[in-house]
Amino acid sequence: MTKTDSDIRIPDPIDLDRQEEARLAAALRTGTPGAGEEAAGWPGPAEYAGFEMVGIPDRPPQTEREAEMYSLGEGEMLLNMGPQHPSTHGVMRLVVKIRGEMVTDLDVVLGYLHRGIEKLCENATYTTVLTYVDPMDYMSAMHNEHAPAIAFEKLYGIKAPARAEYIRALVVELNRVFSHGLMMGFLALDMGGLTPILYGFINRDEVVDLLSAISGQRMLFNFFRVGGVNWDVNDEFINRLSRWRVNVAKSIGDNEQLITQNEIFVQRTKGLGVLSGERAISLGVSGPNLRASGVPFDVRKAHPYSIYNELEFDVITQPGGDTYARYLQRVAEIKQSISLIDQIVDKMPHGPVQAQVPGIIRPRPGRAFGAVESPRGFYSVYAISDGEPNPYRFRMRDPSYISLQVMPVLMPGHLIADTMAVMASLDPIMGGVDK
Amino acid sequence: MADLCRPRPAAAGLGRRRPLTAPAAAGALVRALTDRFPDLSDSLWTDEDTVEVQADGARNLELLTAVRDDPELRFWWLGDAAAVDYWGPGQDDPHFEVVYHLYSDLHPTWLRIRCRVDRANPHIPTITGLWEGAMFHEREMYDMMGIVFDGNRDLRRIYMSPDYRSFPQRKDFVLPDDAADSPAAGVVPLERPETWELGRFRESATSTSAHPHAANGDQPATDADTSRPR
Repeated sequence: MTKTDSDIRIPDPIDLDRQEEARLAAALRTGTPGAGEEAAGWPGPAEYAGFEMVGIPDRPPQTEREAEMYSLGEGEMLLNMGPQHPSTHGVMRLVVKIRGEMVTDLDVVLGYLHRGIEKLCENATYTTVLTYVDPMDYMSAMHNEHAPAIAFEKLYGIKAPARAEYIRALVVELNRVFSHGLMMGFLALDMGGLTPILYGFINRDEVVDLLSAISGQRMLFNFFRVGGVNWDVNDEFINRLSRWRVNVAKSIGDNEQLITQNEIFVQRTKGLGVLSGERAISLGVSGPNLRASGVPFDVRKAHPYSIYNELEFDVITQPGGDTYARYLQRVAEIKQSISLIDQIVDKMPHGPVQAQVPGIIRPRPGRAFGAVESPRGFYSVYAISDGEPNPYRFRMRDPSYISLQVMPVLMPGHLIADTMAVMASLDPIMGGVDK
Repeated sequence: MADLCRPRPAAAGLGRRRPLTAPAAAGALVRALTDRFPDLSDSLWTDEDTVEVQADGARNLELLTAVRDDPELRFWWLGDAAAVDYWGPGQDDPHFEVVYHLYSDLHPTWLRIRCRVDRANPHIPTITGLWEGAMFHEREMYDMMGIVFDGNRDLRRIYMSPDYRSFPQRKDFVLPDDAADSPAAGVVPLERPETWELGRFRESATSTSAHPHAANGDQPATDADTSRPR
């Protein structure tokens, strides 16, 4: 039977309501939810007969691992989380294979925020690159600028003045404090506790106001320059810093009191997602996540950059390797950063904050590698110069991108609801993951 | 395609070998490496905090296993694995390079291993057997540069969609040409100055549609592309 023009009619909303009513009535009468669908003009069971539910990728698997992930065993199903799940810390997708409530496998799907920053930077001058890297890992924009600044200075063969290095270390540690402080809140938020994130944002706004007093921007600071920093410290910054320093121990402590001894929090996170030290090294996990597994690897100690060899601090580790240890590691590092800030302010020398650098930098052909310890771990830049004013190759290694690989390792055997807790304890930032 | 590429005469100087001047800190590492790999002693290079080795791509597994497991070297931390494309005007020897950066707590320098990969046949053994974490590095290199890692059991695209066909970080990737064949065809390539017809923005300002061609029912931008030389 072919349809003529008179058969095609625009559905009337009231008519649709009547159909829906009839369908519901039929379903109620017979006690089967599908009954009455045919009467309402919906495809009946016969039309579904040849139709087979496909897995999430609508194409044959391309690799061995993909075939393993997307083939379902007895009683298993795939559950899609994202890409706009509120607690995935950005735009990413997790495909979770579950049996009942238990996760049996997990696939991380990335690329929703990919902007090709590496390629952009290869077409920008060395000075401009430092503005492009800011929005990558937007929770630690200062660290994002630090690594390329180190690499470019190595390429160009200059050193920043001593005062500039101290200011760099100061702003970088301030950035670490607010990044870790927010992580405490987000971890609690992803498990249903709303209050800590509010305290976290109060703390964060104080630090952000501090950093905007010195750099002029609240979030994407654009503060570092090749051969120095943009501004010297000013009165407003010093006033705010001293006020912040008086209050910070109490405000962080308040937040900590809400979480650290909280029975619900401890029971949810202890023993959840245990990552051994060897496995963490093999998987490339870095930063607080690696140290929470008991591996004392910190770029500030391993390859001291800036002024970190003049400061006194120890590499903190936690024995546990679970979600709770990763939380405790952040809290301990906040306190360590505050003590580092004290030392930096005490020792800061006088002098210029910017070396003499031409407007357009043309380093000699060569290669340079600069690595810093960002709040998420080992953040490095590999820059190649061919004598032009823009880098021939600009490569960034983002720690949260590599850390996401542990999700399929940690999750099997845990509940779906714990996925977000483990995810938040790794503290990934999708701006950095997707570059 | 060559007219869209800026000439880069200095690229030829990239592979230039420099004299071996080992700072005191790197001396022990340089000695250990030349003892173990006498054939690579010519390709060693150091600066103040890096020791660099150049080798053929087929040897990456042998080299990395050796420097990781040797008790005197013990480079246990894979810092970075990245690909570089050496291509362009003035580059007489186009090739890829896969670059590994390693850290050891016994040596105060980074170890950089640069592995050469043929550009016509870009294959290199995977190192996911040594470090599981190399998986995302290798998937990114495959996605962005098109380097195939033999033995990698999950070599899928990671940033671009699975049906994307170009390798965007190659130096010969120029958006309008390659994208014309890809699912992204139809994107108005604002990068090209010849497409900067400002008039169409004026016209579209009056219409409610966001698409600049919707206002006058004009041809989409891809049709205009056929007129330009490829």
